[in-house]
Formats: sequence, structure tokens, C-alpha cells
Amino acid sequence: MDDHKSEDQHLVAAAQHILKALAASKAVSDDLRKTLLDFDIHLSAMSIVERSIKQLERKIKFAEGKIMTWKAKNSMIWDCGSKESSEYLEAVSEIQAAVHNLQSLNEHDKELLGRANGILQVAMAKLEEELVHILVKHKQYLEPESFANEAGSVDLVNPALIPDLKSIANVMFGSKYHQEFCQTFISSRRDALDEFFVVLEIERFSNENVMKMEGNCLNREIKKWIRAVKIVFQVYLVAEKRLCKQILGDFNDSVYQFCFAEITLSFVLKLLNFGEAVAMGNRSPEKLFCFLDIYEVLENLAVYVDILFFEEFGSFVRDEFHKLLNKFGEASKFTFLAFKNAIANDPSKARFPGGGVHHLTKYVMNFIKTLAEYGEALNLLLADETPADPEGNDDDDSHPLAGEFWSVAATLESNLISKSKLYKDVALQHVFMMNNIHYMVQKAKSSELSLVFGDRWLRRHVAKFRDNARSYERVTWGPILSILKQENAELNCTSSKENLKKKCKDFNASFSETYRSQTGWYIPDTELREDVQISISQKVAHAYRQFTGRYSSTIDEKWKKHTVDDIENYVLDLFVGSPKSLHYFSSSAQILKRDKSV
Amino acid sequence: MSMSMDGSHDTECEEMELFQRHVAERFAELLSCTDEPEAFMSIGWLRKLLDEFLCCEAEFKAVLLMGRDPFQIAKPPLDKLLPELLDRIIKSLDVCNAVSLGIDSLRNIQRLAEIVLSALDQTLIGDGQVRRAKKALSALLSAMLHEDKDGGITKGTERSRSFGRRGNKDKDRSAAAPFRSLSWTMPKNWSAAKQIHAMSSNLAAPRGNESSGLALPVFIMNTVLVFVLWTLVAALPCQERNGLGTHFQMPRNLSWAQPITALQERISEEWKKKEKKGTVGLLEEMQKMEKIAQWLLDFADSFQFPAEADKLEEVKAQVEELADICRKMEEGLEPLQLQIREVFHRVVRTRTEFLHVLDQAAKLNIPAS
Repeated sequence: MDDHKSEDQHLVAAAQHILKALAASKAVSDDLRKTLLDFDIHLSAMSIVERSIKQLERKIKFAEGKIMTWKAKNSMIWDCGSKESSEYLEAVSEIQAAVHNLQSLNEHDKELLGRANGILQVAMAKLEEELVHILVKHKQYLEPESFANEAGSVDLVNPALIPDLKSIANVMFGSKYHQEFCQTFISSRRDALDEFFVVLEIERFSNENVMKMEGNCLNREIKKWIRAVKIVFQVYLVAEKRLCKQILGDFNDSVYQFCFAEITLSFVLKLLNFGEAVAMGNRSPEKLFCFLDIYEVLENLAVYVDILFFEEFGSFVRDEFHKLLNKFGEASKFTFLAFKNAIANDPSKARFPGGGVHHLTKYVMNFIKTLAEYGEALNLLLADETPADPEGNDDDDSHPLAGEFWSVAATLESNLISKSKLYKDVALQHVFMMNNIHYMVQKAKSSELSLVFGDRWLRRHVAKFRDNARSYERVTWGPILSILKQENAELNCTSSKENLKKKCKDFNASFSETYRSQTGWYIPDTELREDVQISISQKVAHAYRQFTGRYSSTIDEKWKKHTVDDIENYVLDLFVGSPKSLHYFSSSAQILKRDKSV
Repeated sequence: MSMSMDGSHDTECEEMELFQRHVAERFAELLSCTDEPEAFMSIGWLRKLLDEFLCCEAEFKAVLLMGRDPFQIAKPPLDKLLPELLDRIIKSLDVCNAVSLGIDSLRNIQRLAEIVLSALDQTLIGDGQVRRAKKALSALLSAMLHEDKDGGITKGTERSRSFGRRGNKDKDRSAAAPFRSLSWTMPKNWSAAKQIHAMSSNLAAPRGNESSGLALPVFIMNTVLVFVLWTLVAALPCQERNGLGTHFQMPRNLSWAQPITALQERISEEWKKKEKKGTVGLLEEMQKMEKIAQWLLDFADSFQFPAEADKLEEVKAQVEELADICRKMEEGLEPLQLQIREVFHRVVRTRTEFLHVLDQAAKLNIPAS
């Protein structure tokens, strides 16, 4: 073959010599001269090609040596130091160039080209393995704890290896083996991402599993999931995208964006699927905080997601994320509504013993106290739906959630009024309302809620419970006080002895009856209780003192069951919630009673 | 079941008649699809199937909910049938997710096929190109055959998690490791076959006087739901399809059911043929690709440079067909995935709506406080 070639070359050289000589001869016409010279140029080109091919052949042979040696070895090039790897890459570049040159030459030496391509393929296959090896060996495992402070500066692959990865990418892309590069890269990075699930302790659950999960178990999983979602979108995926860009950024932008999307799409969807299952869960009021928790987290992450997936490749993920966010928004709104309805429809079947603070009141106030912590999220969700406030608490400085919370309070009040009507005793109805509204006010005064409810609402409701207190007094003690009242005409009338006797008897009976029933009533708040007691005491004890004092001469000691001090002490027994009665037997029994009641 | 007024009864009967007819028509159309791009069990056909499903679902909701008193759907026999449907919906969501992951696998296979195209779609085919193609073809066929086992991880043979593993095997064939399919799919013991089975059990046609009331559209919807999901599972790679049922208790005498029954029989036949081998699924594009890939692999195995001209012509033809399939996948897989997601969201919403109505009905039964 070589001989044949060199023979050809001699012939060509000889022919060119003759051509030139002929062209120089004066015997040749201009046209012919031109033709001869063209021919000469043609032949020159041929020999250049011949020489080039010879050169290429040498280069190919040299590179082949390197590449085939490595094919036979079991070890990894990149484990053997940078000299080896750069030499290898150089060899590949030579082959690459050779292929390119051979293809562009007019003379296609099919065998040589085939050989070059063959060697190139071997090199590419090897580089694929090297790529996988580097990515796996230099993968960096990161503990979730370390993420907290390092948002964005995390390296998922040892940064020292980035230049190597880039070199491999350049060579493989240059050889038009970019598909293999991308597939391998994507596959390896996907595995790393899947491993991260394990680090995050996220298990795979089917939708059915999630729907069946009970309280604590579900809450635990949700907590894990929230943590995972934060880390994934704020740190991990940001780092992953950066990695893709570092390695593939030299090429068209769509390359690294495509790879990033392929790596992450499936993972993100799997992650979001748990959220989807949770969003489908039942919507009892207790779930509201859970939904709001998730809603808040997703709302905050939305901007990260939008940035990570803003390209066309990522639009699916972006859409799914926003759909999930909306689902939690809907679930929250719906559950809030369910909460309000639950208050409104809370059945009033049995009288609440003692007229104290009803469970419902406590539940609702504590519920909304916690709810106030989600101020921002709720605000976003309920912004368009604030109900008009019938009580006119509204004003421009109101907290954005005020309307909703006033509405909840109003619903509660309404239900409480229904409950109060179960009591036959109107006085107890008032005590009940007083207690409950007082409780509401106390809770509403606490930190977050006071900002929401506002001064005007607070003042109004303080006035309300005081109103109820006064009404109670009027209903219960009014009649009793009027017993003790004297009409002017009778002031000096001694024949009203019977009258007085009757009055004492009536007073004792009424007082005793009131004592009997209202010691069993309950005002849980000690301050409020004292206020009411003092108010009663002042009026009643005062009236009694006046009465007994004025008629002390007329009134028989036997008619008087109590001293003024007694009255004052007995009043202290009221609303304590332990029913007592006054027994008018011996004075010793009274003393005993007195001791017990202190 | 007695309606308030004769007028509304008639409208309702009409609605239900229409619903049945539409269902029959839609599936009859699917049955008659034979041409590209909607050839039976192709990507295009599946997309059409899902379209029809969404239409059925929308109509079903209208029939059951529009202008209707919540009471009517909360009383027997719907008080039992509806919750069952809603339960089936939850099961179906898992199937949607599994199938969606399956499409990811298909995309992976598509990329491998595209490498084969790059290698062989050349004027000059030498050893290098052939080895390149062979590598991708082995990985491709491997991916196709091992899809079903717990996310595609098999023990031993060609695929292994330890990258860079060496052995005495033919290196060109064995480096399939980087191209293996996705792990971490559905929960460990989840099985598509079992799920479909669970969904189709207890699915009994309404009898007697129930068969002309609202129980019928519910039954139809259940049937359609199960059928569509079953078809998807048969067509696309999906975790654990062994034992996928091929026999459904389909009512023979109901006119609306006939096209569905016919489709189901046809798919069952196909499934039974392929099941033993372990299969990537009945998707038309995959079936074709498998044949082409096998042919090309055989070609690659027996290749000697230079190949004969007529052999090269055959290769060209196969490569062209492969390119065509890849094009269809490129155009159709993502929309298909989006559609499945759409189905997911829609049935979730439907479930929520029904729960809401049932809730309202329940509340109306409680005397106000």
C-alpha cells in the first residue's frame, strides 16, 4: 500500500514537472497554458492531501496507542493523576481532529476514517465510564443540618473536579457524543438526588397510605416533608443547577437547562405528591393549622421555584408547584369556613352547669389565638373575603384580619346566646354571658389578638360583660333589695312590726334561696368574681345594715338570722361553684358553716 | 328514586340516556382508530383515550350534580356507591403516579434510541458507529425488558448499581449501567396489578329498579375509570404489573358497554401474548421499537466492515422508522404526561366536590341548634 502510494507520488511529481515545463514552453497557446497550470494546481492539491493523510495516519496511530492501552486496563484514568488524564484527553482531541480533517478532505479514505471513528468510539466509551466514576467518587454528601446556614454555597460535587468534568464534556461534545454525556450525567445526578430522599428520611407513601394516616403519624411525616421541601428548593436544587451550569455552561444555555430539568423533574413531582395527598385529607377545623403551615411554607418557596424552573423546560414543575400551593390555599379557606360553621352549628342541648365559661368559648378563643400567628398567610387567603362588620367596629386602622376575627367572635356570641337561653333562670343567663364574654375579652387582650381585635372591639365587649353583670344584679338582687327598702310613710311607724317581721323572713328566705342556688354558680375568673361579689356586697350589706340599724329596736333578734358580717361573708361563697346552703338551726351550726365557707 | 315532578324526571332520564350514548360513542371511536397518528395503543391513541375519559367525567359530574338537591345523591343506593367511587378515585391516583413515572422510563428509552440514530444515521457506517449503536441498543432493550421489577433494579446480569464494574463480559454490551431506569418509584410493595384488581372488585352492575336511577351513571363512571387505568397500565411501564387481570366482569347486555368490552378484549389478547416475556408494555411505539432494536442489534452483532449495500439499505429503512418513532415520542410523551396529570387533578377535584355535597346533605339532617 505504501509502495503503491509512493509510486503514485513519484508519478505525480513527474507529471507536475512535465506540466510546468510544457507550460513554460513558447510552443503552447495561452489557453493550453492555462489548462496545464490548472492541472498542475490540481495535482499539487492531491499531493498535499497525500501528505496530510500521511500525517493524520501518524497522529491517529499515536493516539490509538494511548487509547487502546487504557481500554485494556482495569483502572480509571482520573485516579491516576492529572498527567495521565490530560494526555488521554489530548489523544482524544487528536483523534477528534483527525476525524474532522478526514471528513473535510475531498479524498475520502474510508478505511482510515473508519479506523479513526472506531478509536474515537472506544475513547468515548471510556470517557463515559470515567465520567460516572468521577461523579460518584467525588459526590459530596451533605447533612441537612449543615444546610441551614449555607444556602446556595453548597457543593454537590467536589469543586476541584469541575475542570475535569468540563474537559470531558468539551471533548465528548466536540466528538458529537453529547447525548452519551448528557444521559450519563443526568442518570448519575438523578441517583444522587434519590439518595437525598434517604438522607431526608422521606419514605414513599401511596396516596392511600397517607389518607389513612392518623394524627401524630401524619404530623410527623408532614414535619419531615416541610423540612425536606425547604432544603430541596432553597439549597439542594440551587446547587444542582449551579453544578449543571458549571459543567455545561460553555455550550448553548439550553443544554444545562435541559439536563437540570431532566435530573429534577421526576424527583420534584414525587416530592410534591405527598403534599397532594395531604391536601386531599379531611377538612376538619383541627387541620387548619396544618394546612396553613404548609401553605405558608409553599408560599415562601414559590419564588425559589419560579427562579429555578423559569425556563420552558421547567414549566411543568412550576405549574404543579403553584397548583399545589393553591390547593393548600383552598383547603385552608375551606377549613376556616368549616371552623366558623362548626361554631355556628355547635349544638346547644344541655345546660352548661354553673354558668361558667363554655368549652366552645375556650376552644374558639384558643383556636383563633393560634390562628393569629398565621396572620400573613391568612391575610393573603382571606383578603377578598372579609365580611362586613355589622357592629361597626371597622375603621381604617383595623388589622387586615380584624373583620374575619370579629366575625368569628360574633358567631360565637350568637351561639352562646342560644346556649344561655337554656337556663330557666334569667340571672344565670346573664352570668353565663358575662363569664363568656369576659373570657373572650381576656383572650383578645393577649399579644397577637389585641392587635387584630382592636381597641374599639375590646371596649365594646368590656361594656357588654359589665352590662350583663349589672343585669344579673338587677334580676337577682333587685327584688331582695326592695324587700329591705322602706317607704317613707312607714319610717316611723312602729306598728309595722309585723311588716318588719315579714320583711326579715322574706329577706332570709330570699337570701337563703339565692345563696343555695348561686353558690353553685361559677365565675372562673377570680378578679371578675371578686368584682361581682364586692358589688353585691356593697349594695346588699349596706342595705341590710341600714335596715337592721334603723329598726334595731323593733326587730327581734330571732328574726335576724345574720349579721352584716355574715352577709358579707356569705356573699364570698357565691359563684365559687360549690353549692352550699344555709341551715337555720343552732348558732353552732352556723359557726361551723361559717368556718367551712371561708 | 321517585322524582319531584314528571318534567324533571323526564329531563333526568334524557340526561342519563345521553350520557350512556356518549360513552358508547366515544369508546366506539377509540375502537375504530386504526390510522396514524392514533393507531391502536399508540401515544396518540392513549391521548385520545384520556381526552374521552375527561369528557365522560365532566358529563358524569353534570348528570349527578347539576341542579340537584344534595339529598338525592346522599340517599340509598348512592349513599354506599358514591363513597366507593371516591375510594376508587384515591386508588386511581396512585396508578396515575405510577404510570407517569413509567413515562419517565420511556423518555429514557427515547434518548437511548436517539443515540442509536446518531450512530447509524450516517452515510458511512464503520466499526465505531456500530459499536456505539450496539451499546445504546443493549441498554435500550435491557431497559425495556426490566421495567417491571421494583423500578427496574434487577439482581445481577447486565445492570448494577456499582458503576464502573468490570467483568469478562463483552464490554460493549455490558456498560448499560449508566442508562438504567429510575429507582425509587412507588412504595415498596405497591403493585399496579393489585391496585387495578382492588379497584375492579366489588364493581357490580346495578340490578332491578336501581338500574334506571342514579346508580347507573355511577356504575358507568366506575367502569370507565377502571378501564382507562387498566389500559394505561397495560400500555406503559409501571411498577409490578405481573398478574395484571385480563378478565373483567363486564355487563354483556348493556349497549354502552359494548365498545369498552371490545377494546378490553383486544387489549387482553395482546397482553396475554406479551406477558410472559416481561414487557415494556403494549404501547405501539415501544412494540415497534423493540422489533427494530432487536433487528439492529442482530445487525450490529454480525457486522463486518464494509457492509453490503443492500444490507445498508435495510439498515437505513430501520433507522428511518426508528427516527419516526422517536419523533412521535418527542412530540407526544410530554403532552401525555401532562394529560395524566390533568386526569389526576380533575378526579381529585371531583372527589372534593362530591365530598362537599355529601357533607351538605349530612348537615341538613342535623337539626339546627
